[in-house]
Amino acid sequence: MADTPRPGPPPAQLLRRLRRGLFSSHLDTLITVVLAVVCGSGLWSLLHWALLQADWAVVQDNIRLYFNGNFPVSQIWRSWSWLGLLGVLCILTLMPSRLLPPAMVRLLPLFWVLILPIGLLLLAAGLGFEPVKSRFWGGLQLSLLLTLGTILMALPLGVLLALARRSSLPLLRWLTTGYIELMRGMPLIAVLFFGQLMIPLFLPEGWTFSRVLRAVLSLGFFMAAYMAEDVRGGLQSIPRTQLEAARSLGLSPLLTVALVELPQALRTALPALANQCVASLQNTSLLAYLGLIELLGISRSILANPDYLGRHLEVYLWLALVYWAVCILMTSLARRVERSLKVSDHH
Amino acid sequence: MAVFTTHHPLINEPDSLSPEDTLVSKRPAWRRKLLPILLQAGIGLLVLGAIALLLSNLQINLLRRGLELSFDWLGRPARFPLSRGLLPYQTEDSYAWAFAVGFANSLQVVVVGLILATMLGVIGGAASFSSNWLLRKLATLYVAVARNVPPLLHLLFWYVAVFLGFPAARGSVDALASWLRLPISVEFMALLIGLTVYTGAYIAEVVRGGINSVPRGQWEAARSLGFGEGRTLRLIILPQALRAILPGLNSQYINLAKNSTLAIAVGYSDIFSIANTTFNQTGRAIEAFVLLLGGFLAVNLLISGVMNLLNRLVLQRG
Repeated sequence: MADTPRPGPPPAQLLRRLRRGLFSSHLDTLITVVLAVVCGSGLWSLLHWALLQADWAVVQDNIRLYFNGNFPVSQIWRSWSWLGLLGVLCILTLMPSRLLPPAMVRLLPLFWVLILPIGLLLLAAGLGFEPVKSRFWGGLQLSLLLTLGTILMALPLGVLLALARRSSLPLLRWLTTGYIELMRGMPLIAVLFFGQLMIPLFLPEGWTFSRVLRAVLSLGFFMAAYMAEDVRGGLQSIPRTQLEAARSLGLSPLLTVALVELPQALRTALPALANQCVASLQNTSLLAYLGLIELLGISRSILANPDYLGRHLEVYLWLALVYWAVCILMTSLARRVERSLKVSDHH
Repeated sequence: MAVFTTHHPLINEPDSLSPEDTLVSKRPAWRRKLLPILLQAGIGLLVLGAIALLLSNLQINLLRRGLELSFDWLGRPARFPLSRGLLPYQTEDSYAWAFAVGFANSLQVVVVGLILATMLGVIGGAASFSSNWLLRKLATLYVAVARNVPPLLHLLFWYVAVFLGFPAARGSVDALASWLRLPISVEFMALLIGLTVYTGAYIAEVVRGGINSVPRGQWEAARSLGFGEGRTLRLIILPQALRAILPGLNSQYINLAKNSTLAIAVGYSDIFSIANTTFNQTGRAIEAFVLLLGGFLAVNLLISGVMNLLNRLVLQRG
């Protein structure tokens, strides 16, 4: 695309390009002028409001709440250090791999799996720290914890479901098909509602899970159905010659699945799976209505504070920015993984 | 033993690679037949056992609370207020009628929402192919922002920040309601706009993919026949892109229907909020959940049915 002018084009060329891009016909000129006026005035009033009328104290004074929730202040370094670790891991993953030692690159996936237990150790208890109950977890930290937990649960479960849906055993196929279609037909909030309020009804007396665990379980069972369909799409795209080749090499069925089918299927399904991961983050916001104080939930309680009466617009714009940034970060992480898989394919 | 004879399991059954049919397998035939049956029997027993265990727990728990499963309560008066909707409702009406009202409200927002979201999505998707630089960039910006913000935040933004924050916005909804003579509430509008903007961005991506799938030569041919940009798109490109667009649209429509349950955040009385209120009042979790599921099954089947019909029409004509 020739949208961005290269450094220092002659003015005549720039003018010509402008004319072609914005004023090539009467209709085009009209569209450009109307859009420019609408966008310009919109942007102007937004800036005017953001700089002069908005009171950003509701964001500035509560940064800790947005990021760490109600985590005890004396222990807050634990919460920050987990977020810090996560940030470092993101940076390491996004860095060009030739800048990192090869051993590190190979260990990155392991680190991504380990970051969740490390987070639980750091946040909950263990390592000789003072235990912090899960109802004190909140803010972005809880949203990320829920997202990671959901992905780490839903991905393996989704792979198993996808394999089972293609199994040669009819009963297994019917059961998994039924499960996947039922889950995909239900709204998420109904599943979460079921998880938070109705799971206790199905358990023997005295068995309880924490709210956070129940949330991860419901989100995980929900997302697994969607991921299963993406993985199944990947499995279907594998040419049959691959299976014949594996068979003629004498690979057992289990090894064929593990070494031939799944790696290719997952690579094909990666963009779709990445979208599901972003959706998992967005899904955690629903838990604000089921008693969890994740990012949206904590914002609701901040807005309920009479000191910040009517500061909704500021808070929602700030939340939109945070969610947007994390989603973009997740998307670029996925692109990075996709690219590195493509590169290794050529070797 | 099936070893590269005419009875090649890979060719006869493309989707099933049973462990017993492979080259390396040296098991006798009876084991090859029996093992899957035993395996399935085991799985079946396991699943049945788990279900039985859960149901017996449920029965014990419900008995303890004095709430045996029944739908008798549906006839009793609901006694909770609902926001204005298409169907008339008073607090003396029964729970059953409240569910019907909620279902109608859901259907109303889903149907209007998917029409508007389709319009927005087609405009957004087509705009990313415009020759106008500003229009193209705006379409990209819209998709990038709307998709990366949770739908719930969209709804809250429109409801709390726009409609409750600006009296003028509220006034215009009332004006619209009296002009159309329809019971349009602020809650309905917030839900509708939020769902439209969020789903519209996804539909724009579907439409963009569909337009991309039409060969470039079609654009050039239309141009050389003297068609303008707008007419090329409307008469030549979109009809061909429709084939690729329809399956994607179907899943976005079902997503819109499912996301309409976020109505609970803006206080619109959709079927989920009725189920939720019913549960809070009566403690009838299972029954309310079953009714909710039934409602959703109906909506999903309705959308899929209509879309399949459309799909057949498009395929017949093309």
